[in-house]
Amino acid sequence: MTKIGLEIHCQLTKLESKLFCSCKANYREFEPNHNICPVCMGLPGSLPRLNQKAVESATSIAMALSCETPEKIAFFRKNYFYPDLPKNFQITQLNVYGNTSVGGEGYVRVEDKKIKIRRIQLEEDPGRIIYEGVSDRTKITLVDYNRAGTPLVEIVTDPDFESPRQVRVFLNILSDLLENLGVAEPGLEGAMRADGNVSIEGGSKVEIKNIGSFHDLEKALHFEITRQQSLFERDIEIAQETRHWDDRRKITVSSRSKEEDQDYRYFLENDIPWVKIDQSTRDTLKENMPESISSKKERYVEKFDIAPQVAEIIASDRYYSKLFENAYSVHNAKDIANLITTDVIGFIDTKEKQEKSKITSQHLSDLIDAINSKIITRNSAKVALQEIMKSGKDMKTVLHEMDLRQVSDSSEINIIISQIFDEEKQAVLDAKERPETVNFLVGKVMQKTKGKADPVKTLELIKSKLNQ
Amino acid sequence: MNLNTSILKYIEDIKSGSFTVEEFTATTLQRIKDVEGDVHAYLSLNDSAINDAKLIDQKISSGGKVGQCYGFPISIKDNICITGTKTTCASKILENFVSPYTSTVVNRLQNEDAIIIGKTNLDEFAMGLTTEFSAFGPTKNPWNLDYVPGGSSGGSAASVAANECLASLGSDTGGSVRNPASFCSVVGLKPTYGLISRYGLISYANSIEQIGPMTKTVKDSAFLLNIIAGQDANDDTTIDNNNVNYLENIEDEIEGKKIGIIKEMTASDGLSSEVLTATKDAIRDFESLGALCEEVTLPTIPYTVAAYYTITSTEAGSNLARYDNIRYGYELESDGYEYNSYISKSRTKFGPEVTRRIILGGFVPSAGHAGKYFLKALKVKSKLISETNKAFEKFDYLISPTSPVQPFQFGEKIDDPVTLMLLDYNTVTANLTGKPAISVPYRVINGLPIGIQIMANSLEEKSLLQSAYALESKTNLPEVPL
Amino acid sequence: MIDENEIIRVAKLMKIDLEDHDEHVSRVKKMLEYFDILDKIDLSSEEITSQQKSLDELRKDEFIPNDKKLIESLKNFREYYIRAPKMN
Repeated sequence: MTKIGLEIHCQLTKLESKLFCSCKANYREFEPNHNICPVCMGLPGSLPRLNQKAVESATSIAMALSCETPEKIAFFRKNYFYPDLPKNFQITQLNVYGNTSVGGEGYVRVEDKKIKIRRIQLEEDPGRIIYEGVSDRTKITLVDYNRAGTPLVEIVTDPDFESPRQVRVFLNILSDLLENLGVAEPGLEGAMRADGNVSIEGGSKVEIKNIGSFHDLEKALHFEITRQQSLFERDIEIAQETRHWDDRRKITVSSRSKEEDQDYRYFLENDIPWVKIDQSTRDTLKENMPESISSKKERYVEKFDIAPQVAEIIASDRYYSKLFENAYSVHNAKDIANLITTDVIGFIDTKEKQEKSKITSQHLSDLIDAINSKIITRNSAKVALQEIMKSGKDMKTVLHEMDLRQVSDSSEINIIISQIFDEEKQAVLDAKERPETVNFLVGKVMQKTKGKADPVKTLELIKSKLNQ
Repeated sequence: MNLNTSILKYIEDIKSGSFTVEEFTATTLQRIKDVEGDVHAYLSLNDSAINDAKLIDQKISSGGKVGQCYGFPISIKDNICITGTKTTCASKILENFVSPYTSTVVNRLQNEDAIIIGKTNLDEFAMGLTTEFSAFGPTKNPWNLDYVPGGSSGGSAASVAANECLASLGSDTGGSVRNPASFCSVVGLKPTYGLISRYGLISYANSIEQIGPMTKTVKDSAFLLNIIAGQDANDDTTIDNNNVNYLENIEDEIEGKKIGIIKEMTASDGLSSEVLTATKDAIRDFESLGALCEEVTLPTIPYTVAAYYTITSTEAGSNLARYDNIRYGYELESDGYEYNSYISKSRTKFGPEVTRRIILGGFVPSAGHAGKYFLKALKVKSKLISETNKAFEKFDYLISPTSPVQPFQFGEKIDDPVTLMLLDYNTVTANLTGKPAISVPYRVINGLPIGIQIMANSLEEKSLLQSAYALESKTNLPEVPL
Repeated sequence: MIDENEIIRVAKLMKIDLEDHDEHVSRVKKMLEYFDILDKIDLSSEEITSQQKSLDELRKDEFIPNDKKLIESLKNFREYYIRAPKMN
């Protein structure tokens, strides 16, 4: 009986500015320590100024995760010393005087399970530490504060996961959801981190920290479960503790119990007043939220009679759903959807390619129209798409320049068929004896015509020639 | 030209051509040279003061637009940041810290052509009541150099009292503007929490502290308030004051106003006999002005000092955590140290009082002790707020002597921590409740000043200043002997 | 009764070095003992109060670049990074 809980940190990189100052939220393009100001450096006399949109984004996330959201939120100080903390305290949230973080008591459906979201809080990211030097004894600590103050949303789940695989599915759903909301870019390096906790057979809960990526998370969870199981089998007590993931050795290691000595002395951050988020504001936020993935999917299936798997793929990705929604008409919705999921996805499979692609919804509907009016074959459409992706030229131009128009003329096709029959004598004999192998010949004709021959006609003509 | 003048009189004189800004500035700088050896109010002086003065004179003579301040000299407590100048908080740990930005209040003053003459001495990080805890030596009371000027804004108060400038900005966390104002016979105002921006004020206890003007007259205080008060985008805790003009109608009478005499702050066994007598006389003066005085009890007051020190040490422990000597501070090579030992070594530069407050501030909110100390202190704060709110339903003002005692000699009080803490007895209420309070210089007995404190309800500075002006009109104070 | 060892432990947490400073411990102890007065007041009905603002009063989400030279005015600055003592 394995139980896994997660603590996920997601940067709100879609915001313009940091949580408490006007430096850039997404620090990645800057030279070290060139995205700082007196506030995020915690210079004496500086004061934090809360980012309105950060609160809105965090509240939207809470609502998207079906959380309850309170009327007022407050911020707290978590006091501890570390080089990446300019003030040696972190401004974060806590539920001490009632519920004062942006949301809580929500859930996410993962396959047939409901994973409970315990709470969601808004807080600032610390800076980044880079270690220089070879041995542990000579390592110098170098700090870059560009990231200090970047807005973070922390999402804490109950220990409802039963397996690392379930965790992976959840994280994919969560990433899609956050991206769909337009508040985060989970694909950016370091933008989304997760720590976990593991217990087995109702035993002690072990926290695992310092996990670099989702990939590492799965590994760490597997390792930890195995470690606990082997202890359990030998009747050795599993200590309740914090361990950290050692990426080099691929194991979890007990952290020095500095954690236990820690006393964060939490108290209200008095430089930031409590923020009232009344019901009408929350209602407006909810209305303005982009449609959720699951509701999009439902809409595609019901309205356009698109196969659920196809609908799922398109709904889950903003790029495809945008392409689809601007291309479809009552008649061709299904075709557009299939074109996207069978062809477009084939060559536009990364965020970068999505950004660079010049394919528009107009291209897609033009192509579908052309296919349906038999101006080009499905194969040629694929070739055309690749070109359009790069050049963005309109369909007519591309068809013309690349000579992709379908060859439907029987006499033209027959000429090619004769050539193939000459070249592939054995295949012709095979086809006469075993008609199911005729597709080989069709394929050869398609090859020779670079996919332009009307495949239905070609098959027809080959069959009749075979019967001659 | 007389340096013992008020801001408003100075401006009149500049406008009428009695003297130039440069002349007044030069005379002020000379005065500083003459008395600083004795007083030690300043930690640093502004090298370009004369140049600033010349520029303003040029503006005046060419008929250009001149700011409201007409170049009057003002000193700034050295826990308030000004670009390019050292801001030390009177601490060795910041002795070379040069701020890369300017506080809002100084910005507003500079925009109105005030001349910043220099930065004044304080108890280290504003923690103290006598300025004896400054790492750079104490400031002396200009009324008697063997006596303390009060604290923590002792340098600010002394600089005004000694005619080394016409006004100063101090900071008040538990009485740090009003207490030295009382000890040095100047006007000291702690405004409503949130009225004046704290951007650039180096934090000690950020939930209750405020910058406050220290001046020779009540009208000058109103004048300064007009310039520095008001909402600031750089400080989320500032509130909108609707652009009130504090100087307008300041001479309005207080006839018929109801004044509550705070029983717990005026008990005869808590005050020295001189202070008690002065208080009684002040009450009579108020009555002669037509106000109705009556005793009022605020039963939470005996607990306020404990609550105050619990809350402020918690916040100080957190606000001073950033001083780890890594990003700014003083020169100390990190070779041979590791992180924790380096920080501990660096922080030995804190003085004894700051060190003790930090330890307290780690103790009282810690997991095992917060319930007994910190959380209780917060509740005392809430209780006090309700109590004073209730009192202000009946009364327009609440009064008491600012300090239970007159100024005392150096070394007299700093050895017993509890005695020291209790000097704040009459002043912390205004900080804990966030309500405005002013100390008006009332009397000098045996050469030592006594101030009377008036409190008003939140955002009632305009009314408060009227009552202060009225009381001031009844006083007849000697000139400082220095 | 306040345990002096507790005070010493807290000082360490606050990165305060207490060598040669026994007087600090005893003074802090005296101050804490004074705070016992807080036990004597009835606070059962009190709630924590605080300042409040509404969402639309908060700072608008805008990127405003800061002075690039800020980092150079801070100490321990070495080729763009801040150099901190080595970690244990």
